[in-house]
Amino acid sequence: MTDKIIEILKASSADGFEITDTVTLGYEFYFIKHKLDQNRVRDVEHINVKVYKKLDDGKMLGSASGEIYPTLSEEEIKDEIDKLIGRAENVKNPFYELNKPGDFEASKESNVDVSKIAENFVAAMKELPETDTEYINSYEIFAEKNKRRFVNSEGIDITFEYPSSMVEVVVNAKDDDHEIELYRMYKAGTCDKENLKKDISEVLKYGKDKLIAKPTPKLSKAAVVFPTSDAVQIYSWFVEKCNAGFIYSKYSDWEIGKDVAPKAKGDKVTLKSVRNLPNSSRNFDVDEEGAAIYDMTVLENNVPQTFFGGRRFRYYLDIKNSYLAYNFDVTGGSKTAEEIRSGKYLEIVEFSDFEVDSISGDIAGEIRLGYYHDGDKVTPVSGGSISGCMENFINEMYMSKEKRQYDNFNIPALTRLENVIVTGVE
Amino acid sequence: MKAKFSSYLEKLAPSLKKLIDALSSDYDYVSVLASDSKGFSIQASQKSKAITGENMTTERGCVVRVYKDGLYSEYSFNKPDVDVQAMAAKLKTILDDQIEILKRTGTEIFDTAKLEDEPIEVFTEMETDVMPEDVDLGALMKKLQSYSDKAVSLKEFMIDAPVSAKSTHVCKLFLTKNRDMRQSYVYTEGSVLAIGMKNGRNTMTVEGVSGRTGAGILDGLEEKVEIAVNAVGDMLSASPVVPGEYEIITSPEVTGLIAHEAFGHGVEMDMFVKKRALGAEYIDKRVGSDLVSMHEGANCVVDVASYAFDDEGTLAGDVTEIDHGILKTGVCDALAALRLGTKPTGNGKRENFEHKVYTRMTNTMFDSGSDSKDDMIASVKKGYYLEGMFSGMEDPKHWGIQCIVARGREIIDGKFTGKVVAPVVMTGYVPDLLGSVSMVSTDRESFGNGGCGKGHKEWVKVSDGGPYLKAVARLG
Repeated sequence: MTDKIIEILKASSADGFEITDTVTLGYEFYFIKHKLDQNRVRDVEHINVKVYKKLDDGKMLGSASGEIYPTLSEEEIKDEIDKLIGRAENVKNPFYELNKPGDFEASKESNVDVSKIAENFVAAMKELPETDTEYINSYEIFAEKNKRRFVNSEGIDITFEYPSSMVEVVVNAKDDDHEIELYRMYKAGTCDKENLKKDISEVLKYGKDKLIAKPTPKLSKAAVVFPTSDAVQIYSWFVEKCNAGFIYSKYSDWEIGKDVAPKAKGDKVTLKSVRNLPNSSRNFDVDEEGAAIYDMTVLENNVPQTFFGGRRFRYYLDIKNSYLAYNFDVTGGSKTAEEIRSGKYLEIVEFSDFEVDSISGDIAGEIRLGYYHDGDKVTPVSGGSISGCMENFINEMYMSKEKRQYDNFNIPALTRLENVIVTGVE
Repeated sequence: MKAKFSSYLEKLAPSLKKLIDALSSDYDYVSVLASDSKGFSIQASQKSKAITGENMTTERGCVVRVYKDGLYSEYSFNKPDVDVQAMAAKLKTILDDQIEILKRTGTEIFDTAKLEDEPIEVFTEMETDVMPEDVDLGALMKKLQSYSDKAVSLKEFMIDAPVSAKSTHVCKLFLTKNRDMRQSYVYTEGSVLAIGMKNGRNTMTVEGVSGRTGAGILDGLEEKVEIAVNAVGDMLSASPVVPGEYEIITSPEVTGLIAHEAFGHGVEMDMFVKKRALGAEYIDKRVGSDLVSMHEGANCVVDVASYAFDDEGTLAGDVTEIDHGILKTGVCDALAALRLGTKPTGNGKRENFEHKVYTRMTNTMFDSGSDSKDDMIASVKKGYYLEGMFSGMEDPKHWGIQCIVARGREIIDGKFTGKVVAPVVMTGYVPDLLGSVSMVSTDRESFGNGGCGKGHKEWVKVSDGGPYLKAVARLG
């Protein structure tokens, strides 16, 4: 099908094209407690085509994209391509070049067995240290084998295969009076049984503490420690601020070589984009536009070294060697875990939903479970919320030397922000 | 005009019926949902323009649901084989591989009864103004660009104003041995995202239009431009709210967010099956003040989630969830209904043909009351008028609620002081929040922009809304 589309595109009036053909076989299992609620299979192919058209004597470049369904006949494909070319003529952006074939070493061909990955997950979930009072409420297992081919009009033609998986888990804990729940979603390449068990065991312990949690005190402002995957949202803000699209659109005013927080008195952030992280679901040789991916430092001690992003915005910003980044590594900070966890602070292990707005930097989240450390006293707390802005927090944040990986982010295991607004309920 | 049903699905239907026949020798229940939904997404901003034929609801594909020995299994595909017997054999082989995994791991089945298959025939082509396929995207791009340009020209602090529109012609075909249900309708949404910067601080807000109609509704974006720009200006000069409990007046958009997060997700009855929702224990009990009544259903209002039947072939409904403060019932998909011994309400929805059905909201609306907005504001001693919605999160197990609201306008002694706080995180215990509702306005609106997830995935179109409410809430 893709070869037929390439033929049609070459014979068309398009001045350029990109095709991404992804074939997915997915195994899914849905459980209520440990009984199977439903099993599902996804057996699909999605072919996405983007066409380019030079406009205004080549000063502008039009583009339009769409899915070419695998059920279409040759005539229908031609009609769809003509429609895309017509649409591209209405999308006038300044000219930019598409990616050209580059030198890179392709990863070894992997042989993904989706049935085996799924079975490993089903087996792993039966080995959790549940008790009569802390146990699994329900979970959903998603395992995928993906084969992707990317072709463009500049001569790039790459095919690679990769696994992708996800487990959603709801944990309950109960005492004589009530029952509570905590929620986790884990993404990875394949089933990492030991890490999955370790993390869910931690959540089971949190469940026990949630039962005895007191209302969060009215702290006004406090230091907050983030020890879970919620910290990924904090580092995602740094990632977005270094996105070429954000820079070009002026949503981010960060500049290469200029310290983003010159008055910062805490740890400074060093952010790297890396091609591979162990068992990441996003280990790719090339990005979705065909640019080769390699390790590069994006932010070093709060100073941008380069920006990453799609070909178009990089061309406008004259950033030649970069790409759309998928895996990120944040260098550990100056503090030990013990130093991070010192003095008075609130350590939050569960939010209803922790968000960091990429444009404003505002953070917000309702506290489902935290631990308030007031000298020697530790109190599990629940309720209320935190808020504030990353633009301020960046001036004093601390990171642990120890690291922890959450799918495509390898970040300091503990992150501490100072002077966070805490809306308590007591 | 009527939104014409997909000719692709018309042609596919006979072979899908044969597939049902072929699978019926191995399975006790077989259904197929086939979708062919075409549309577009278009955006114009100061630095970028884009058109794509894809949006959240465009799709073409099928999902087969089969039942045997107490277990429901599904197979999603988008390359139907012309050889129906080969297709049936492939489906059975791959589902059998999954059954082998269950055997090897000693997995028990959550035993469920067989779905009823009473005969139903539906053919609905709903009215619309313009089909997405017929929209002149060149002209629309110029119009959206003019809105973006106007927004940026209005104030110096504006750095960009992406203006977006999406429209989808939804066509769905649901078949069993006894059911043949076909529906075709169009929905459209558009938004102005105003982004401003002042003194090194960025912020933004969104204004939108939506409806179960065509691109004609997008003309309404023009009047949203100035509203969005002025709101961003207020937010750039805003201060953080002093954390505490306040009297609040919610705009209909924020009212909708409360409806959605409090008693939308809280009464999705597949959560009752898993014992994940406190709502199950509160049927026929008080959960709000006498002034609180709420409806949920595809037939409750006409907005983006107003369809004729859901993704399991259940006809659309209109459920009274809360009647004068008393929780009456929730909403339910077909399998959850079987497990709970109740009737489905037409709320079984999939993100698309590749996803499982869950109980999902459609249109969730607070009923109107008898107060005027002006009287409500005049009655506030010290509090905030909350407007603009960013996001929310449900917590059905504990009835906690998290709503992130764009801004609050201070009211002291019944008058606006001109002071604005932003952003505002509203949290609380749902029965406390709804129990504090003391005034409800006569008018109401629905809003259908964006998408709704279940947990952190499974995105579907919903709308929500209601009148202005006066209540007491914790703000931070």
